[in-house]
Amino acid sequence: MQNRIAVTGVGVVSPAGLKKETFWANLKAGRSCVDHIKRFDASLYPSRIAGQVHQLDAYSHLSGRLTKKIDVFAHMALVASEEAIKDANLDLGSCDKDRIGAFMGNALGGWLFAETELRDLYLEGREGISPYMASAWFPAASQGQVTIYYGLRGYSKTVVSDRASSALAMWYGAKVLRDKKNDYCLAGGMEAPITPYALLSANTHGSLSKNNLTPKTAYKPYDLYRDGFVLGEGSGIVILEREKDALKRGVNIYGFIKGIGFSCDGSHRIKPALSSQALEVAIKDCIRDCRWREQDVDYICLDAEATELGDILEVKALKGVFGKKLGDISLSAPKSMFGNLLGAQTSLDLIATLLSMQNSLVLPTINFAERDSYCDIDCTPGQAVAREVNKALIIARGRGGVNVVVGVEKN
Amino acid sequence: MGVREDVLGVICNVLDVGEDQVKMEQNLYDCLGVDSTEMVELSVSLAKKFGIKLEQREITNKHTPFQISDIIEKKKNN
Repeated sequence: MQNRIAVTGVGVVSPAGLKKETFWANLKAGRSCVDHIKRFDASLYPSRIAGQVHQLDAYSHLSGRLTKKIDVFAHMALVASEEAIKDANLDLGSCDKDRIGAFMGNALGGWLFAETELRDLYLEGREGISPYMASAWFPAASQGQVTIYYGLRGYSKTVVSDRASSALAMWYGAKVLRDKKNDYCLAGGMEAPITPYALLSANTHGSLSKNNLTPKTAYKPYDLYRDGFVLGEGSGIVILEREKDALKRGVNIYGFIKGIGFSCDGSHRIKPALSSQALEVAIKDCIRDCRWREQDVDYICLDAEATELGDILEVKALKGVFGKKLGDISLSAPKSMFGNLLGAQTSLDLIATLLSMQNSLVLPTINFAERDSYCDIDCTPGQAVAREVNKALIIARGRGGVNVVVGVEKN
Repeated sequence: MGVREDVLGVICNVLDVGEDQVKMEQNLYDCLGVDSTEMVELSVSLAKKFGIKLEQREITNKHTPFQISDIIEKKKNN
């Protein structure tokens, strides 16, 4: 029998809340947590709205001595990790730390730290830059800080793969557990793109919504008047362990990471291919890896890029795989409420899906008002719907045609 | 204020610790677990504070705050 990988703890730092209870309450209510960017002057940016994390310091357990050395993306990961460890009732003091690792994904690294320190380097010379710059900005910094903070010495990795980063990181963590290289893994992602330079870079992509006057209703995937996704920041971390170990510990099991499918469009360095074929391959591979049939799937957490091409191709791929059976599957994009966290997005999609399973409630896609005939799916608009969710897929697509689909099951 | 008080102030500010946590006769590593990167920041801050040049590894985390104060005092007098 395949040794299933259980999720036994979750930690959330998100625009929709810094505790899983708040996160769930906001999503359940269909509340938009997108707002104007006020942290710096973003008035000249084409897209100047985002899902932002507020009051991180109030929820932080870290000393000032540590927080001054790290970027906010690592800070968010450390806060989410602490929550996840507590949620999983994991007593690290009694564990073999040579067998605990961290698998984390992000797309950008820590730009707030980098931007301010590079400015000081050019203004003041080499003595103007913080010595912590070298270890604060790069994408692996968060995973490094988490392992250092808890003294974890097990096999660990950082994955960078645009918006599929945390999906691949969590799969990597699950694989390492299945191969018995570790006993526990902290897995997930973190991203902090609401900084002057990172936001500018994200704007050049052309996929961000410019509905700046109405931030709460700006992110409207599958709607006829969609104009792109809204950026978000935050971190989602889960504790992974083998099913039999979790049963032995007698802890709550949210669900299991069952399988994965991935493919690459192989078409363009930024744009997706003009065909849904590669995404269909990833979905089918995931279902096969999970040892399910198409009709077993009862929920799909959508990628929801909210661009014309992105949404149409996603819907086309879903129809290509499921055909008429698609009507029996609940579909939604909870990220429409808090933004797309780029490399960290799938970690929050996974947590939202697990909470949906636990509460037998499918979260809504908000801001859907006008049907697009090319995207004629029921995306659970506006309000959550009661439904037992046992088997779910989570879709993550990155720039350049990275397609990753994760399969999760409840029992 | 004397050099020792100023050195203590810089240490507290850079490491975000209280004065009561700094033992003037114990080396910085044993007392506060100061690592090599923190020593770089401390050296730069001390050099700025006293208007002197501190070469790399002239002060280390194996020095006590008293020893660091003496090194700075000598530099200032030269």
